[in-house]
Amino acid sequence: MTAQRLPKGGHIDRTRPLTFSWDGTPMSGYAGDTLASALMANGEQILGRSFKYHRPRGIMSAGVEESGALVTVGQGAKQDANVRATTQPLYQGLVARGQNAWPSVRFDVGAINSLFGRFFAAGFYYKTFMGLPPFEWGRGTGMWMRYEKIIRKAAGMGTASREPDPDHYEHAHGYCDLLVVGSGPAGRATALSAANAGCDVILVEQDAVLGGDSLNHPDSAAALQEELAALADCGVRVMASTTAFGLYDNGVAGLLERVTDHLTDPPSWLPRQRFWTLRTRATVIAAGALERHVAFGNNDRPGVMTANAGRAYLNRFAIRSGESIVVATNNDSAYTTASDLAGSGANVTVLDSRDVIPQSLRSLSEAADITVHLDSAPMQALGGSAVSGLSMACRQGNGWQAAGRTDCDLVLVSGGWSPVVNLLSHRGIKPVWHPELACFLAPASDEPILAVGSAAGIWDDPACRESGRKAATEALELIRNPSYRAAAQPPGDWECPIDPLYEVRPAQKKLKSFVDPQHDVTTDDIRLAHHEGFVSVEHLKRYTTLGMATDQGKMGNIIGIALMADALGKEIPEVGTTTFRPPYTPISIGALKGRNVGPHFRALRRTPLHEWNLNAGGTMTMAGLWHRPWFFARDGETISEAYVREAETVRRTAGLCDVTSLGKIAIQGPDATELLNRVYSNPFAKLAIGKTRYGIMLRDDGLVMDDGTTWRLSENEYFMTTTTAHAAKVMAFLEELLQTRWTDLKVHLTSVSEQWAGVAVAGPLSRQVLEACVEQPTRVSDEALPFMGVVETTMRGGIPARIARISFSGERAFEVYVPSDFGPVVMQSLWDIARPMDGCLYGLEALGALRIEKGHVTGAELDGRVTIEDAGLGRMASDKKSYIGSALRKRPEMTKDDRPRLVGIFPKDRREIFNAGSILCAADNVAGYGEGWITAVTHSPALGHWIGLGFIKGGHEAWQNQEAVCADPVRKGNTAVEIVSPHMYDPKGERMYG
Amino acid sequence: MAKRQSALASVYHRGISGRPGEPGVRLEELPDLNLVQVGAWPDTLETAGTQVAQAIASDTVPGPGRGISTEQGTALRVEALKWWLLDTGAPSLDSDTGVTLDLSHSRTRILISGPEAAVCLNRLLPLDLHPDRFVINQVASGGIHHVGVTLWRSDVGYELFIPRGFAESLWELLVETAEQFGLEIV
Repeated sequence: MTAQRLPKGGHIDRTRPLTFSWDGTPMSGYAGDTLASALMANGEQILGRSFKYHRPRGIMSAGVEESGALVTVGQGAKQDANVRATTQPLYQGLVARGQNAWPSVRFDVGAINSLFGRFFAAGFYYKTFMGLPPFEWGRGTGMWMRYEKIIRKAAGMGTASREPDPDHYEHAHGYCDLLVVGSGPAGRATALSAANAGCDVILVEQDAVLGGDSLNHPDSAAALQEELAALADCGVRVMASTTAFGLYDNGVAGLLERVTDHLTDPPSWLPRQRFWTLRTRATVIAAGALERHVAFGNNDRPGVMTANAGRAYLNRFAIRSGESIVVATNNDSAYTTASDLAGSGANVTVLDSRDVIPQSLRSLSEAADITVHLDSAPMQALGGSAVSGLSMACRQGNGWQAAGRTDCDLVLVSGGWSPVVNLLSHRGIKPVWHPELACFLAPASDEPILAVGSAAGIWDDPACRESGRKAATEALELIRNPSYRAAAQPPGDWECPIDPLYEVRPAQKKLKSFVDPQHDVTTDDIRLAHHEGFVSVEHLKRYTTLGMATDQGKMGNIIGIALMADALGKEIPEVGTTTFRPPYTPISIGALKGRNVGPHFRALRRTPLHEWNLNAGGTMTMAGLWHRPWFFARDGETISEAYVREAETVRRTAGLCDVTSLGKIAIQGPDATELLNRVYSNPFAKLAIGKTRYGIMLRDDGLVMDDGTTWRLSENEYFMTTTTAHAAKVMAFLEELLQTRWTDLKVHLTSVSEQWAGVAVAGPLSRQVLEACVEQPTRVSDEALPFMGVVETTMRGGIPARIARISFSGERAFEVYVPSDFGPVVMQSLWDIARPMDGCLYGLEALGALRIEKGHVTGAELDGRVTIEDAGLGRMASDKKSYIGSALRKRPEMTKDDRPRLVGIFPKDRREIFNAGSILCAADNVAGYGEGWITAVTHSPALGHWIGLGFIKGGHEAWQNQEAVCADPVRKGNTAVEIVSPHMYDPKGERMYG
Repeated sequence: MAKRQSALASVYHRGISGRPGEPGVRLEELPDLNLVQVGAWPDTLETAGTQVAQAIASDTVPGPGRGISTEQGTALRVEALKWWLLDTGAPSLDSDTGVTLDLSHSRTRILISGPEAAVCLNRLLPLDLHPDRFVINQVASGGIHHVGVTLWRSDVGYELFIPRGFAESLWELLVETAEQFGLEIV
């Protein structure tokens, strides 16, 4: 292969030379080149080493199906492996290198693998599971653990960078009437006609340059530019470097736009790639067709390409890819390529496997001085690291026999064309084999999706354009009339029928003929798989790994299926094809995630006191999406020291805690009371205005959903608080009840979680703190605001507040809510008073310690398995009214005496500790699931030792005279424990009322 | 009266960033939001609507997915039975006609304007913002990074109402995204 850049022509910009490096060597090309065309123009032939055998590989195509020129682009954190050189636009300073080779792709030590080729045949890897023959044959995999590593090292493709991806990506949403996939003649015709008819059209093209097959025609530049300008004039939104990688339900298409992959030094504000979710009313697929190879000996040698690639490099990139060229074909399409190449000064010979060709092709060949051999085909490429000749075969009855050799430096192969039906296949449409055209075609879709041009098996340029115009009319009708169904367009025809040729294999000839070069799958592998009993194409695929490489079978699938059919003695339609799935070409994980990485992995929810807490020395923790203060360490304190001090301070003086994250729901309307009385298991009908009540909500199945307090603000208005964890669930459930079951109730629910900042003021001195911060201290006196009382009043500075006297800690305590924007001001004024009283700020850890001492439940206990009785709150449940869950909570299984009940847990030896998540067992039977479990643990400052909350069969009464063990087999081992009442501190609640 | 503190207080930095040249996107927090929600009942939609219209001195009341803006304020029909009133006082309704609720501190209000405003929003928000399809005074609910937001197209740009607790997180995404168009934070 002696490639040469021609002095003129092509779609490259000779005024913009670019330099780049390949395996460390500086080289040059032009703007408009792909990395592959630039490497070819620089005379590089071996660009890669194959997966298993380390055979030299070069450029095989000019597009996305490329299976030879897979390279690594970029360096360091920015390196990108397995890039198809044929689709990578060249840019100034591009750095590329070969992969799967040492020391380089030209001299690769691993090539020794090909000497042992017969061991690495299909299923080699699976067979290694059976053990090392003959020592372990069929007995196991002892050795496998060792040589698996060697296999993995020897086989492979490029390697990814181990560093974090430094690029950023983004998502985008698009909307249009019509999506056209492909900017070739058919796609452009569709877009133009539809836009002229008033349609909002988006046209996407995976290539960096628009034009599709038109770029491969000689002297096409001027006419193409005119056509593209016309598209822009009529408002078509054209997106180059954008792949429609998948079609999904309801007209959703996934697009990947490569924004900066062609730039030397992309500006920081541009994402590398953009992942589009496009919603369209109709889709026209003008994605073209991929040319197939034919399997013959050494058909993977650098210097063997598809015929159309030869034409693309000549007409698009102005490179004559060889001097002495053999064009091997089984159809009409390769003759224009042959003629174009001969016109550029190459010496061209055509081998046509058919016995007759039409006069038009004969004349074309004669005019271009091309020798044509009929009934001929390539048998084996010659040459060590690149093609230097070709042995040929001629037809002999039903088979082939060797027929001499010729010198050449390039073999161009056309084994027929496969329309790109992938996107239709994504929609569940099974492609149907068309025997006359020897390709799979997609039948009509029930959705507004149409295939046109060569994607529909229509081959010549004028017919493709006509097909596009027709599709535009059909698409408009589909958009107008949803019940309209468009028929699939009839495929075109060849002047002379294609010869279904997939492999050239004369009898008795030992050849290494590749079907899927990326995974080194040969024709013998297909036959071996059949020989070993694989008959389904899906099994064949998995056993041989045919079609499982980065091209997903674009290059080899049809040959593989044809050979399988042949081996089975069946026709191709009986064997069928595998289902194509998205993405059409590989997509980086980064693009899927867009901007939702790092701190934006999930949207962060901050309380209005977030900055205040941080400034006050708070350490934060995640609670769902919320950032909540965890603890406020003073100089040198550990988390344990901090929370113990905080909890102890709350019981001694006063503490402040940001409780904004609790769910808050405004319940308004004349039927608000009725709604609450129906959803809470305890009575709510008679809650007085200015009072709050603790309520427990059950699910329909009678298990506890959530708890919280609900405050009655006026006759028809309530303020409900929920746990942080269940806020959204409760809101959605109540809304569902109103919208589906109780549509007659006049109630509005509104989440006001964001409207109010919440602070818990807890401890014996809490009232003094509050009195100093409200404008009228008498409003918060013991008489005005008794336990479970609610006031709406004003904080200093004229800030409206609603305050309830409720307690989670077991101390005298208040929850103070103020409008969010005032949160920091109010917190500061509370702290200014509390601090000199030797008060503290406390976080989630101390909050937990305090509530565990009191046996108050949270989400850890209310885990969806617990009845109201299990939680020790059974006497709250009303038997006089009907409410959500009231019937099903009476099921026998739910009312058994030996259900696990909420209990407190002490270590028998008070110096011991134990872990949450441990299993509770009877001391004489530490086994299985045990008798219960532990949900929460803490050091209790009030009791001076470790305590826990949990559930155990029968509750604490049942365990008064029984030995229990806290079993933690994978962490701490067993700890002897006492089972006690969950109300471990101040069981009568005297401190709350004080 | 104490001063209100914006959710964006620690991250709001006025100035120009990103792509050089005339900014394609302007972001501006409209502070001190005054937002009252009016909820009607199915059989009082008309009566409540009249009160909403009166609150902004308008002859008409906005239908579903629409807003009306006058010198007195703005009314957005955000749900089948709910309006949001901006920059005006709450109407007094008896609870048989409807209910009102102050939500002034629940949202952060951001104005997104400039020639690329819609394109920029579509990088985050899955709503069809084609100027002929999302016309001036259109209102819609949508989601940015799974956070529910409300969008209103005013005659100067797009006003985005973000739940306050998520405002800082989504603001950072908006700024990152807008820089490719040339961003001015006003």
